[in-house]
Amino acid sequence: MTENSSETTAEPDGGTTADPTNDEMAIETDVAGATGNHDSTTTPDPIIRSRDLDVFYGEEQALDSIDIDIPENRVTAIIGPSGCGKSTFLRCINRMNDRIDACRVTGELSLRGKNVYDDDVDPVALRRRVGMVFQEPNPFPKSIYDNVAYGLDIQNVEGDYDEIVEESLKRAALWDEVSHQLDSSGLELSGGQQQRLCIARAIAPDPEVLLMDEPASALDPVATSQVEDLIEELAEDYTVVIVTHNMQQAARISDKTAVFLTGGELVEFGDTEAIFENPEHQRVEDYITGKFG
Amino acid sequence: MAADTTTDVTEGFGQVSRSVGRLFRALLLAATLFGIVFVTILLVYVANDAIQPLTADPGWHLTFFLTLVVPTLAAGAYVYRRDEEAFQTGVLAIGLVAVALMFSGGAAMIFVDIVKPLTWLAFLVALAVPSAVTLAVVAYDHRIPFAGQFVATVAAFYLSLFGVPGPLGAAAGLPAVAPGVFGLLAGVPVAPAPWLLVALTVGGPLAVVGGRVVGRDRGRRTQLLAGVGVFAVAAVGGVVGPALGVDPLPATVVTSVGLVPPVIYVANVAVNVPEERVGLLVPATVVGGVLVGAFAVDVLAFAGPQSWVDWAFLTSAHSNNADDAGFYPAIGGSILLMVTVAVFAFPVGVGAAVYLEEYAPDNRFTRAIDVNISNLAGVPSVVYGLLGLGLFVTYLGQSAGTVLLGGVTLGLLILPIVIISAREAIRSVPEEQRAASYGMGATKWQTVKNVVLPRSFSGILTGTILALGRAIGETAPLIMIGAPNVKYSLPTGISEAASAMPLQVYAWSSLYAGPDFYNKVVPAGVVVLVAVLLAMNSIAIVLRNKYQVGD
Repeated sequence: MTENSSETTAEPDGGTTADPTNDEMAIETDVAGATGNHDSTTTPDPIIRSRDLDVFYGEEQALDSIDIDIPENRVTAIIGPSGCGKSTFLRCINRMNDRIDACRVTGELSLRGKNVYDDDVDPVALRRRVGMVFQEPNPFPKSIYDNVAYGLDIQNVEGDYDEIVEESLKRAALWDEVSHQLDSSGLELSGGQQQRLCIARAIAPDPEVLLMDEPASALDPVATSQVEDLIEELAEDYTVVIVTHNMQQAARISDKTAVFLTGGELVEFGDTEAIFENPEHQRVEDYITGKFG
Repeated sequence: MAADTTTDVTEGFGQVSRSVGRLFRALLLAATLFGIVFVTILLVYVANDAIQPLTADPGWHLTFFLTLVVPTLAAGAYVYRRDEEAFQTGVLAIGLVAVALMFSGGAAMIFVDIVKPLTWLAFLVALAVPSAVTLAVVAYDHRIPFAGQFVATVAAFYLSLFGVPGPLGAAAGLPAVAPGVFGLLAGVPVAPAPWLLVALTVGGPLAVVGGRVVGRDRGRRTQLLAGVGVFAVAAVGGVVGPALGVDPLPATVVTSVGLVPPVIYVANVAVNVPEERVGLLVPATVVGGVLVGAFAVDVLAFAGPQSWVDWAFLTSAHSNNADDAGFYPAIGGSILLMVTVAVFAFPVGVGAAVYLEEYAPDNRFTRAIDVNISNLAGVPSVVYGLLGLGLFVTYLGQSAGTVLLGGVTLGLLILPIVIISAREAIRSVPEEQRAASYGMGATKWQTVKNVVLPRSFSGILTGTILALGRAIGETAPLIMIGAPNVKYSLPTGISEAASAMPLQVYAWSSLYAGPDFYNKVVPAGVVVLVAVLLAMNSIAIVLRNKYQVGD
């Protein structure tokens, strides 16, 4: 655990007391706050907030009334068994679910107070503020430089691309390994390097939020620990939301943890330490201790 | 129970009959081989009639057997045992030599008889200037609104190609004020020698590519040296050609188009792939064997086969006398037709494929289009000929049988095939790649342009080449639109009537003018047609294999 674990959980009351759908959430955060109130530092206001978020694939309900407040500049882990809707929730944040015809979203999910499912929100513009890293490393079959510069290019970012590319690769802890071969193909790198390249690509246009969908599940243990270190560093400047099926990983790197269980429910959300050491719900405890899932 | 089984053990397990299965398997094998065997027999028969290998001196056969066949088999076996990959590299090199030389013949035909090198240069420059303008606009595109970019690039292309006021002004009755870059250059009185123009325009870009490929990771100096070397190979024809009694222009085209690609390939293997260097033994043996063999039969005065596919056949026009009948206008007509077909069918077909795969919503209308494109691929070619005749000749008043008309008609014919194969290629782009692009905040257009099309390009190209292979053998649509069976000269533009290879073969076989036409000239024409077809298909297959391995 990092020093982050000493901080208290979100205190969303200031931002959400006016919201009538906030009752459950308030109870949960009270409990979480009670378990971790040994420090008076407050977590920043939530940057992502969902209220009563339902997602359906055709007739099937994938997410059931999700209420969550994700704090800024923290690592929030989403854990849960397969098919619990954790990836679906992540893809709601940058509206990648729009690309699936059968997918229908109701309720509210706001980024900095603006519901991203409002009619006047352009999903392309939204995705330019929310970067994403996928499960399988998926660099383009272009040079390393062009991979990192891709977002700058398509978003018409102003500035010195050479500098931004170098800076992004340094932040992704990849610069030392690839600085002499920026012109060679991104596909020639190892799996772990490819994933760090994808992270560099995602942070190059300087998004506000970084979504990670099981970013280390296709990597070997060494590459996994490199990516984990990287995520902890990134949290100083970015809000990171990471989906993982690896509970140790969530415990190691996250400040807050959300546990989704079968049926697309958010069963518990709070400080990572509290969730892992003293979960409130029996189902969560069973899941964390490996009794199912 | 246990006691029972112990007595059975000695008697074994018995047999299950498989005779029906064996019969079924034999039938399947027969079905598999049925077509291949018969077509092979036909082609051997036709090739025998056309090339007549048995008319050669036994000494000729023996010489080439000793200088070419035996060393090639030996070298091949040696390389194959050492390294299978190297063997493939070597075979590919020798195939590249054959295919590139064949295509250089076609290119030489175009430069000698159809497009003047100066016109070619003017056209290239007239395209290069506005392309540079476009690149400059794109480099600053975030400062210029889209409408400005669009107007600037369109205007640059129009002015460069047509001048002021160009065809639009002429249609409005305005007098010509200034010629475009094209008109300016095409009209200059003094120009470098044609062969030098070809060496520069064809050999120059190839030298840049070759330099980069061969000198890949070895710094600018090596790249420059390799580029200069490639350019020297391209230009050597113009210098050496006259000494051998060949015009410098076709000699330069042959060295630029026919020799440079294999040279680049071989140099790349020799420099950058040391573990496959041994494979180059195969092409070296083949080329050496051919040269030594040719020299030996010349010295020993062994007569070669009296092939009907010879230089005279390839370079002269039809004649009523079978001995003088040639294929030249038909080959040229087919080349022009294929260029027109490609120019028409490639953008339209790929455009339709991109729409259907990336943009079209999944509704009843799209599904109806889907089914109908598959149906169109099966419509008989004679119906497309009827469409070309009815639409373009009768309705739009085009003159019958022109290259443009034939090209568009054949283009319509292969359009469904191009669409289907391009869709296949686009569909094979991994979904993760699209997700990565959309996740970065790319619009659909940016994703298609930057991710989908580059990734699927070689697959699209493969499908288009295979479709062109179908178009090059089509006869019925050309007959329907009134293409002349026999032409005595090459068409000099796309609005002139042209024959084509299958049409000329059909003419020879139907206008019965003597047994030699039946037994010798027709097979010779078929051999040339099939050779061109195989060359095109082999390019497509090599592209596809490389593409699949590359993934």
